[in-house]
Amino acid sequence: MIFLLRRLAFYIGAFFLAVTFNFFIPRLMPGDPSARIIASFQGRLNEAQVEAIRKSYGFTGSLWEQYVTYVGSIMRLDFGISTVQFPEPTASLLFYAATWTLVLVGLAIFFAFTIGSFMGIHAAWHRGGFFDSFFTPINVMLNAFTPAIVALLLFYAFSLQLQWFPLGRAHSTSIMPAFSVEFIGSVLYHATLPVMSIFLVSFGGWHLGMRNVMINLLNEDFVILAKAKGLSDRRVRYRYVARNAILPQITALALSIGFLLGGALVTEQVFNYPGLGKFTFTAIGSRDYSFIQGQLLLLTASVLVANLLSDIANVILDPRLRT
Amino acid sequence: MHKIGLLTVLAGALLTTSAIVPAVGQEEVILRLLPYHTDAMVENFNPNNPTGPQQRTRDFTYEPLWIENVWNPEADVPGLAMSYEIAEDLKSVTWKLRPDTKWSDGEAFNADDVVFTFNYAKAHPDYPMGIDVYSEETGTGNVVSAEKIDDLTVRFNLHEPDSLARYGQGQIYPLPEHIWSSVDDPKNFANTTPVATGPWTEVRNFSRSGYEVCRNTLSHYNADNKIDCLSFPQMNGNEQTVAALSAGDLDWLGDGLTDPDITFLPQSEFNNYWLPAGSDVNLQLNTTKAPFNNLEFRKAMSVAIDRDTLVDISTFGLTTHTRFPIGTGEMFNTWYDEAALQPYEWLMQYTPEKAVELLDAAGFVDKDGDGWRDNPDGSPISFGISMPSGWTDWVNTGQTVAENLQDVGINASLKTMDEGAWFDGVPQGNFDVYVMWTNGGATPFSQYQPMFNPRQMVPGQIDFQAMHQLVIPGIEEALDKFRSTSDRDAQLADIGEVHKLVAENVPVISLFANPTWYEYSTRHFTGWVTEDDPRYRPQVHDGTRERVLHALSLQPVAE
Repeated sequence: MIFLLRRLAFYIGAFFLAVTFNFFIPRLMPGDPSARIIASFQGRLNEAQVEAIRKSYGFTGSLWEQYVTYVGSIMRLDFGISTVQFPEPTASLLFYAATWTLVLVGLAIFFAFTIGSFMGIHAAWHRGGFFDSFFTPINVMLNAFTPAIVALLLFYAFSLQLQWFPLGRAHSTSIMPAFSVEFIGSVLYHATLPVMSIFLVSFGGWHLGMRNVMINLLNEDFVILAKAKGLSDRRVRYRYVARNAILPQITALALSIGFLLGGALVTEQVFNYPGLGKFTFTAIGSRDYSFIQGQLLLLTASVLVANLLSDIANVILDPRLRT
Repeated sequence: MHKIGLLTVLAGALLTTSAIVPAVGQEEVILRLLPYHTDAMVENFNPNNPTGPQQRTRDFTYEPLWIENVWNPEADVPGLAMSYEIAEDLKSVTWKLRPDTKWSDGEAFNADDVVFTFNYAKAHPDYPMGIDVYSEETGTGNVVSAEKIDDLTVRFNLHEPDSLARYGQGQIYPLPEHIWSSVDDPKNFANTTPVATGPWTEVRNFSRSGYEVCRNTLSHYNADNKIDCLSFPQMNGNEQTVAALSAGDLDWLGDGLTDPDITFLPQSEFNNYWLPAGSDVNLQLNTTKAPFNNLEFRKAMSVAIDRDTLVDISTFGLTTHTRFPIGTGEMFNTWYDEAALQPYEWLMQYTPEKAVELLDAAGFVDKDGDGWRDNPDGSPISFGISMPSGWTDWVNTGQTVAENLQDVGINASLKTMDEGAWFDGVPQGNFDVYVMWTNGGATPFSQYQPMFNPRQMVPGQIDFQAMHQLVIPGIEEALDKFRSTSDRDAQLADIGEVHKLVAENVPVISLFANPTWYEYSTRHFTGWVTEDDPRYRPQVHDGTRERVLHALSLQPVAE
């Protein structure tokens, strides 16, 4: 219990530190949001109008005053107004992009974790066999690819040349978002290639991790005992070995779920997928402070929550921590 | 069993999706265009919101008073006004409005709406409507008031005589008074159901990934309008736009493409592009600093630059040459007097030996023996040419210019920086050398005015065009004279004076003319503007009022 409370206190401290960094880091970048808007008018503004725009799109008051206002509005869950999509509230854009990131990266992590782990179990159980010596090196190789290459190759082959899949977007523009078979189908159809591009470069990691832990466990006494008791292969493999081997994998999974909300910039860019990575990239380029702050905050919160959950899971699963 | 159930649902869903897609829009004629890149559509149709909505609503939904046909000034097209008359004393312009015009909600359009629009712009300076409102406080702007003469006549009164005022007033997009009079904060107003007079006003199927704007049956264009809806898809990035245009999901585009003959044309037999010469690109030298405050040094720089390499290699052959060192280019070629500018043409020609000669004569020689030329007072010369990183053609340009200058012994280097920092450096005047675009517009005045207005050279508010900060009083005088006459010959003489002074003083170094980007597909529509039929400026972007006429003149391909 004390362990958990200590961790909780640490997370709250870390959160406030992050809130502060979120505020100052974007402002340390040179440039301000109004410059680009003014440039877009190509000299069609007179001096008074330029001044008025600076005032209305920029930020007023000293840095300290801005900071106090910012912390206050964070407490009220008010993320401010986006300047890239003026005057849309940042919260609504964040919510929109986060939803699609959850779909995209969530599906990719889910498939990568499940399929990777099962392949790892299989490879470890029959280590040295055909499956192990064929798939393990291939998956390690795939794991070394970058999403940029894989996404572009998939886009070129299946969207442009074969035209099996759409060019981009999260769903077809001719179907209005609704909880219907058509819409969900369209979402899955559009998500296939983007999910695939992340899945292909990440499931090898789960495969390798699972396999390595499994192999260590296979020589443990309790495994030999289980086998000696005459338990079925299947029971030993899943209930005895895999169940123990999954513990470090769960911690790693919690971390990757935490970073999920960072988005997948390259994939989103190639497939025009409206996720957080793409929005954040645009926001940074245009100095959209509100959006950058909101996104960093979201990311911090999700990493901290995921860590907390993994701590709790560890306490439940590992009796040595329960003091 | 459970697994099979799920798969069946998925497969069923896939089948239904693919069946639905082609079924839409069989009878309707839809033009798909992309004037603006964005990550998500926002339900905002405010015609003066510069973060996207303006790009999609102006011209197509909201009409201006007057449609300047910039390439064919003799064939201007009336918008919401039918004609204009400039007063003898050049202190007012009277506009006759289009009779029997209705807003899309059925209310009549009249002079009250125009007067309201002007007063509204005056009351909300933070909501830029493109109207040059006079402000007593700061002494800026020129339009003092809008006056209703009768139901269909409005007069704009000016602070100072200005023969060019009608250009600015022509691009006013009147707002319906009965809607906007109750909007107190226009900057934040989303205008979700636009009420306007243009050919397409009815928004439908809005989602974050796109929407359509459909026919306004009350529009005066309606009888001749063959296009039922405009479709604005959400896109961001060239991979997507080129793929979409090639696949027939997009008809009209204006994106900067690298090497379009390879990356764009072969993708589809329907793909076409044309890149007419646009505005000039100049080197802006900070003349408040040595060595740029020395005229001979500036001249030497100009002849040390190999513009053939810039055009053919650095900018991928997409730019075009500029003939004279006048800071504007071929876009305004109806305004320059070739004979008078002939004596300055040498400044645009690559002659490194001439540069060496000029530098030697002006005392820019290597005094400290480090291999680089120094200022006549002995202080070393070393400067950076600032370029936003990622703007590939400009970065290449900066690289080439730096190498050219090094060839004649000047220690110049390319300095790439983050785009935000680059923009930020402008108003402060905190730089040595920048590369800078120039403004378009109906007359060269729109370029020279910001370029030589001393009020825009004050550090903290330096204009993009005035970065050189060289005050040339003769130019200000000539521009004032230009503005205070409506006689074309007198204007030509005044602008000729400006050209001569620019060429003599070399405040900026002309490099090349930018292309204007224009790509289109003949899959669903024909009759596009081409090099052989330059009836309108063909860009899809806001700022091209002719774009609505371009769209209306397209012929749908029978499918």
